[in-house]
Amino acid sequence: MPVAALVLGRTCLAGFFAAVVGGVAIAHAQHHWPINDDHISGETTDTVAAPFPVQEVPTAGEQMPPALIQAQASGANTAPDTPQEVDESALRYFARQGDTKRLEIEIARLRALYPQWTPPADPLAVPVNVDERLEAMWQLYSEGRLAAAREAIAERRSDEANWQPPQDLLDRLALAEARERLVNASEIDQYETVIRVGSENPQLLTCGEVDVLWRVAEAFAQTDRQTRARDAYRYILDSCDTPQERLATIQNASQQLTPPLLDELLALERTADGGAGEFEPVRNDLARDAVARGGDDATATVPAEQLARVEQLARAGDAASDARLLGWYYLVRENHAEAETWFRMAREREDSAEASQGLALALMARSRHEEAEAITYRWRNESDEIRAVYLAAAANLLGAEPRPTLAQDVLGRIVAEVAAARDVPGARQLGWYARAWEQHQTAGQWFSTALRWDADDEPSAYGLALTRHLLGDTAGLAEIKRIWAGRSDRIQTVGTGATEPAPRAPTIAPLPRATQQRSETVAPSAPASAQPAPASAPQTTVQPTGSATSRRTCATHADPRHLSAEAALQRGWCLMDANRPMEAVDAFAVALGGRSEKTRRDAAWGQSLAYLRVELVDEAAVAATAQPQDARRANELQRSILAQRAAGAFEHGRYVETLLALDERARIAPERLDLMVLRGYAYLNLRRVDDAQRVFQALAATGSREGVKGLAELRDALTPSR
Amino acid sequence: MIRQILQVLLLLGALPAMANAQEANTTIQESEWVAYKARFVAENGRVIDDANGRISHSEGQGYGLLLALLANDRADFARIWTFTNTRLLLRDDGLAVWKWDPDAEPHVSDPNNASDGDLLIAYALARAGTQWNDTRFTDAARQIATALADEAIFEQNDRLMLRPGVVGFGADDRPDGPVVNLSYWVFEAFPVLAELVPAVDWPALGRGGLDLAREAGFGARKLPSDWISIADEAQPAQGFPAEFSYNAVRIPLYLMRAGLDDTALLRRYREGIAGANGGLALVDVRSGEVKEELMDAGYRIIPALADCVLDGTPLPAELQRFAPTAYYPSTLHLLGLSYARGEQQQCL
Repeated sequence: MPVAALVLGRTCLAGFFAAVVGGVAIAHAQHHWPINDDHISGETTDTVAAPFPVQEVPTAGEQMPPALIQAQASGANTAPDTPQEVDESALRYFARQGDTKRLEIEIARLRALYPQWTPPADPLAVPVNVDERLEAMWQLYSEGRLAAAREAIAERRSDEANWQPPQDLLDRLALAEARERLVNASEIDQYETVIRVGSENPQLLTCGEVDVLWRVAEAFAQTDRQTRARDAYRYILDSCDTPQERLATIQNASQQLTPPLLDELLALERTADGGAGEFEPVRNDLARDAVARGGDDATATVPAEQLARVEQLARAGDAASDARLLGWYYLVRENHAEAETWFRMAREREDSAEASQGLALALMARSRHEEAEAITYRWRNESDEIRAVYLAAAANLLGAEPRPTLAQDVLGRIVAEVAAARDVPGARQLGWYARAWEQHQTAGQWFSTALRWDADDEPSAYGLALTRHLLGDTAGLAEIKRIWAGRSDRIQTVGTGATEPAPRAPTIAPLPRATQQRSETVAPSAPASAQPAPASAPQTTVQPTGSATSRRTCATHADPRHLSAEAALQRGWCLMDANRPMEAVDAFAVALGGRSEKTRRDAAWGQSLAYLRVELVDEAAVAATAQPQDARRANELQRSILAQRAAGAFEHGRYVETLLALDERARIAPERLDLMVLRGYAYLNLRRVDDAQRVFQALAATGSREGVKGLAELRDALTPSR
Repeated sequence: MIRQILQVLLLLGALPAMANAQEANTTIQESEWVAYKARFVAENGRVIDDANGRISHSEGQGYGLLLALLANDRADFARIWTFTNTRLLLRDDGLAVWKWDPDAEPHVSDPNNASDGDLLIAYALARAGTQWNDTRFTDAARQIATALADEAIFEQNDRLMLRPGVVGFGADDRPDGPVVNLSYWVFEAFPVLAELVPAVDWPALGRGGLDLAREAGFGARKLPSDWISIADEAQPAQGFPAEFSYNAVRIPLYLMRAGLDDTALLRRYREGIAGANGGLALVDVRSGEVKEELMDAGYRIIPALADCVLDGTPLPAELQRFAPTAYYPSTLHLLGLSYARGEQQQCL
């Protein structure tokens, strides 16, 4: 009698059984995926999938013990006809567990083996002569304690020489162990083991074990057997009914298979009564992936259907992510208006660094820098990328024509960010911006700052040259021309032709040539913006000229003692520009021995600047006194020296000295905000609470965050510790 | 290819006398095994290296299997095998991953093997298959032994050698490669595996190891370093301490257990490992300086056994009593006691 008929032909079962067994579909085409049927997978170039072979054996739907398969394979029932020998322990065990699936399989198995056997009317009834040790083994097996189950079996075999464990239990244990091996091997990418264990245990490859099937499929896909992987997924979609597992199968497949093979699987989609396909979520994700790839790569082609799907998703849903994907997609394709629309939608739903960055880029592409600056400011610290976008927006905003009139708070924050990031284009544009508002000293400071951050930035040098010319700083202009000789034609022509703006406000005191300030918080002040723009603002979008056309004269390591004082002085400045201050110190030292008083004075000045740059403050102070300087230089030097001395003392915890230096500096120059912060903390550390409070309050009144922070720390310091 | 070489080698030299070292059925007492497994074997069959972050490794599983066999405890053998089979025997090539870490996820982070672990597992399985007439163990032993021959046994200067791991020790992997570890030669395993997989010339592998043991006597104490470069003349491998250390302490034990009849070699080891206080010396093989003297009974039983085998000195009574300390010396202790009971009863 064929097994199929046996299984189908179940008759009188107790009510408890009937409900269980009767409800199970047994019409699956096959009970496990035939992993070893290589010929049907079509590992060839033939893209038409061979039909999956249908086997004759019906199944109860879950894994089937090998004993049954052997019975089936024999083609005829060779089992003994002695029902009283039937081991019902597993059956009773599963019944007690309420494990209806396994119970049903066990009944089918026993019926296949013992056609004369009738299942017990009530499997829950306590049988006579129950084998407790065997029950315990089943218990261990069902708890997944496979090692302990093996131990119990072996123990009994040692105790009872003639005892044989039920083959069913051994088979199930072997299968469970195989499953564990397969999963563990899969976890560490041992794909051949996965496939080998799967091949040796095809009973594992069932709808009851889709996870195992996924792992086998992955193993095939990862070892260049895509069509075998597809077969495994297709088996699930052909045979298994659990909706979540079907969906997860397609999701897994989408990670492993090429699009054509995936399309074959998508075609197996089932449609619910309502008309929605079961794979809609996966189709949506695939469309999102495609659009995301399109956002990374402007040359990537995104099928119109997928693009439209994501647009539909974005409009219909309320999440920001789809809109962001679309924003990037259009941005890299330079469709800035579309990009703007989607990024705005994304930001309305959920403001984020990413959407703000995208929107800013779309806006900047259409010269709307002001908004770009405004929307990226909040996110500037989220990533290097968005900081760069913010700084670019700020620089572009400053350089816009006609010059915008920026609110003081906007300008203030740009200054702070440019200084914090040491952003050369930003500093340069602040220079041009200041120049446009005829704040030439400030402009000069910003150009100098830009050059300090990047000595090769020709546009900044050009701006500085124009500024010095305008301010009548002939020596300073000459110095720039010397430094840039052979590297920038237009710098050489500053002050020589009609192309330059006429010098303005000649009565303004010349700007200090260098402000050797190093701290991040030390930056030239923001240009005020309440003045009308001059008509002849210089062109701001200056491209750097080729800077490699000539090398500076100080590129080689020459011993300055062999130079004339004049040449040594030149070399000193050159080394300063090359940011080699310690060598500059030596060069200036040679120049200090020069005959010309001007040379000596310049040398002393240069040497003190060089010391300052390497923070050798005391040496700088000494060098500054080596030659009498004019009042402006002396003042500038003194201010720098004292500021650095204050900072140095603070760093070493010498707060009284900090205050002494600051007081001394305050006598010759107004105190900068950053130095006020220093003063506040020096007071705080000396527990001069009232003084600290006064300073931080004054700072806070200017809108300084440091001031507010200082006040908070002051409060904390005054709160008695718990 | 390698098979042909092996057959040629088989025709050449005569095998050294390798006595069958298989102990009588129960050479580890039940109480000893109970104490050992209570300390070092988890319910799921995991053998725990408690001095090493409570990790498990293929070597430990191999020792666990072997000790369960020597204690004739089929049940514990079965559970240790279940863990070994399902958690470590995962590699595509059929060998075991060497390390299982309870605190890592996944528990296996390095898929490389350790050939001594594979060898111990295969050996214990092969004996278990015979002892308990269980083909499940015999089949698994055959698979692992075959994989070892394919992946880890190689020829160098006309000798068969054992790669410590499939990856990382070959001539292409390191400037001083090949590098081997003499303590990975579990000599007693070779006759057993030769019966199981006769196509592989296990005796030649044994001879190769024995020849290396004779050669690799460095410095004043004439001891091998744990790791040996055999690119040229044997010498301490680069990148490892040039020390006779925790790996190599097993070598004289393995030589004795295998019944290798080379008294001169054993005496050289016995003299080399002599500590000032009766312990087992770990030695800087270049300077001859003693780095540490191990006093755990599990280590001291090794020189004590050598004294017995060489000179008939009985084992001190305290070493005949087993009390678990740490996984590694406790394992060596039981292997030593088992050997004395099975093969050297005059030592007791």
